[in-house]
Amino acid sequence: MRRFYLIGFLVLVCFDTFAQVCFKLTANHAMPPETNLAWVLRVASSPWVYAAIACYIGAFVTWMTLLEHAPIGPAFAASHLEVVSVLALSVVIFNERIGAPQLIGSALIIAGIVCLAISETEAEKPPADD
Amino acid sequence: MPATVVLLWLANIVLDTFGQLSFKAAAAAPALGAGLERWKAMARRPWIWIGIVCYVGEFLVWLAFLSLVPLSEGVLLGSINIVAVMIAGRIFFAEKFSPLRTLGILLVASGVAVVGLGG
Repeated sequence: MRRFYLIGFLVLVCFDTFAQVCFKLTANHAMPPETNLAWVLRVASSPWVYAAIACYIGAFVTWMTLLEHAPIGPAFAASHLEVVSVLALSVVIFNERIGAPQLIGSALIIAGIVCLAISETEAEKPPADD
Repeated sequence: MPATVVLLWLANIVLDTFGQLSFKAAAAAPALGAGLERWKAMARRPWIWIGIVCYVGEFLVWLAFLSLVPLSEGVLLGSINIVAVMIAGRIFFAEKFSPLRTLGILLVASGVAVVGLGG
């Protein structure tokens, strides 16, 4: 089960993160933002929008697979690792600047997910081991 | 906060929480089988569709919400959803709150809130 969760959440975060990156690339491709048909056509002519949709479908399939076993409360919280990975890629790919709150927030999210991972490992131990 | 913003915020919490519970109900139903059979079995039952309708509704509500408040405030308020889903999981799926699990969920929620506070 540990492997199932580890691989499942890694795949989920990759799909979620690349979907957001693809949306950003789509938006850049469709510049300038307008509320008209020309903008919609520019969006539809970007290959990135289809990559984003594919990532969404991949994320959905992964999420429904994880939820077969994963409790929804901790799993929903753990899926927010996406916030950290999107922040990191926004710096690397798009040269965006992030400040202290984003760094502190990311550290808190990672610390929370470490707690969740440890608590799941402990929950799986057979009582005889204790 | 204006009443419209509060209403949209509450609608987002309700749709997000109910949608996630629906997905959990769909995925954890008994005797679904495996692989493609599992997906067919899920598609024959209502919960996955209820979840998808909630998700689309949530997306529209979120867009309306973000047209009224800045994204960072939206992220800040969205951190509440993590706590809402945790409590709902406890009520409807009898999920256990061990101290470490509760701490982990609250740390993630506070981290998302701090990212939102940063603007």
